[in-house]
Amino acid sequence: MSESSHNEEHAKEAGEIARLLSYVVLLLASVDLFLSANAIPPSRFERLGAGAFPKIVFANIALVAIIAIVDALRKIPRDAYGRFFTATADWARRRYLVFICLAALAACLIAIPRLGFSIASFLFIFGLELGLMPRRPVSIFTALVVAAIFSFGLNWLFAEVFNVYLPRGVL
Amino acid sequence: MDSFLSGLTQIFTLTTLIYMLAGSIAGIIAAAIPGFTVTMAIVLTLPLTFSMEPLQDIAVMLSVYVGGYTGGLISAALLDIPGTPSSVATTFDAFPMARRGEAGRALSLGVWASFFGTFISTVVLIAAAPPLAISAVKLGPWEYFSLIVFALTIVASLVGSSVIRGMLAALIGLAISTVGTDPIMDRPSFDFGIEMLQAGLPFLIVLIGIFAISQLTSEVEDAKSVRSGTSLVAGAIDFQTWKVMKEALRRPVNLIRSSIVGVLIGALPGAGGSIANPVAYDQAKRASKTPEKFGKGIPDGVVASEVGNSAIAGGGLIPLIGLGIPGSAADAILMASLMVHGISVDPRLMLDHADFVYSMFIAMTVASLMMLAVSLVSMRAFLRVAATPKWVIVPVVMVCCVVGSFALNNRVTDLACWASSAWRATAARARLLAGSAGARRDPRPDLGNEPAPCADEKRRSDALRHPAHQPSLPCCGSHLDRLSDPQPSEKTKILSRGLVR
Repeated sequence: MSESSHNEEHAKEAGEIARLLSYVVLLLASVDLFLSANAIPPSRFERLGAGAFPKIVFANIALVAIIAIVDALRKIPRDAYGRFFTATADWARRRYLVFICLAALAACLIAIPRLGFSIASFLFIFGLELGLMPRRPVSIFTALVVAAIFSFGLNWLFAEVFNVYLPRGVL
Repeated sequence: MDSFLSGLTQIFTLTTLIYMLAGSIAGIIAAAIPGFTVTMAIVLTLPLTFSMEPLQDIAVMLSVYVGGYTGGLISAALLDIPGTPSSVATTFDAFPMARRGEAGRALSLGVWASFFGTFISTVVLIAAAPPLAISAVKLGPWEYFSLIVFALTIVASLVGSSVIRGMLAALIGLAISTVGTDPIMDRPSFDFGIEMLQAGLPFLIVLIGIFAISQLTSEVEDAKSVRSGTSLVAGAIDFQTWKVMKEALRRPVNLIRSSIVGVLIGALPGAGGSIANPVAYDQAKRASKTPEKFGKGIPDGVVASEVGNSAIAGGGLIPLIGLGIPGSAADAILMASLMVHGISVDPRLMLDHADFVYSMFIAMTVASLMMLAVSLVSMRAFLRVAATPKWVIVPVVMVCCVVGSFALNNRVTDLACWASSAWRATAARARLLAGSAGARRDPRPDLGNEPAPCADEKRRSDALRHPAHQPSLPCCGSHLDRLSDPQPSEKTKILSRGLVR
């Protein structure tokens, strides 16, 4: 077996482990929410109260999650668990731009109420474009123009044309 | 006949036609922006029409209405983000078509399908508004319940390669619908003391979060390709208008079946495009001799989906004109605009204002023709979006999504809800690790955990054609707008959630 097919096999196994973990989380959450649904007061007028539907749903999620866990455990070879963290780190390293995008977006969302939509989105667009683009003077100029249009321009459009006022912040 | 001729002369004035053209353009553009729905476009248009004549007012509103049901196609095909919840199923085949270099064909096919859907539904509206309206309002809770259960059975055709994951996703969708105050008992459930959750999770915001961010982040997974300035859609974009029209017309059964689905669902008060769209798609898939090709870029899927959601335009007016009952939020705003001008919308509308109703029918037909003309002209411009480098498009669309999420309720807290949906969908799409052995993951749905092939477009299109890649759709539905997402599991989740709420 070649090295790349080996790697692919290991990646698949790591994917199965990640999935297994998500099934476990789902199982725990559904059991907890099932118990919470029990606390919803029943109706005096109907046999099935407001908690009945959630209980049916969460009981079924728990059941299917158990089946999924058993199925996943059957598929995963024992030695795969040891390689899980290395594979996770490799996977994350390869997708560093995704994390940069998500972090920038989170920062933008936090900044919007404080700085206002125009400034926060200008910084977000320009900053992210700088992170993603091929560094050339033309690209940087394009990035600046695009950032200005889709931050200050968009804010103006919504306020003046649609009467929708985006957060103003410090402006 | 006199009423018809009177309507004709009233509509075909230069001023009215210009207003309608503006309405068509506004509807298409608004719906193309992720987060902007037909309803929002009509709401924003309403104040602008107060000073118009009643007929001009309703003609403009109908133009926005018809244009809005088509505009969602643009972002669905080019970005894999449905512009409106009623264009969710369009992403399944239009985007794979665009990915393999057939963006022009996909858009053109969608535009023609939308036109035929609107046109057929207008014909049905003219011919059968009163009897259909009476039948539609006779449906009670049993029938509605049956409709929702029927719609939920679509999950079976969406589950993809893993039945367990499909079921789990559908159940999670149902679970999400339990958040908020119980509609029957008026008891709060799972709101965790957060005021925003008391009304349930805002669907449109979840939709944008799930679709948009997971798709956009998947576009930047391959750092080398992003930095080299590649665009979203590779290859030459060929916009074969007339050839594609014939292609759409070669599917008469699909056109008529999907139109009937759209009209019937549209005529039901409370149901809407977000149900009609996946149901029409599902029916087309079931009737197809090659159902395995659905979800991989088959023209039949685009036709069914777009005809289904556009036929809602005519269907939704059936209870409004026949009985004075708005079938959806958008219809309610149309009704309000008539009332502003002193026209009482009730079962006597056709008797008391026959010329006005005929003018509405004519306006619908003209609006669908304008939508076609505007779309065919503007698609060339929209297609340029697909040629924009990823490093430009990703941050810009993200900001548009932020605006769409905020503008819906003017609440900053909705952004938190949007961000959490986005994070969840991104994590689900990433499939944590699957296929991480160096290959870039295919941006299409989960499709069963195959290591995503495609280091280049050729391999990607091969991968899409591979039989192991089962399609997996969403669905949705319910009162305003509902949704779904790019992973089969996520889509199924949203489907079930949308239907139940």
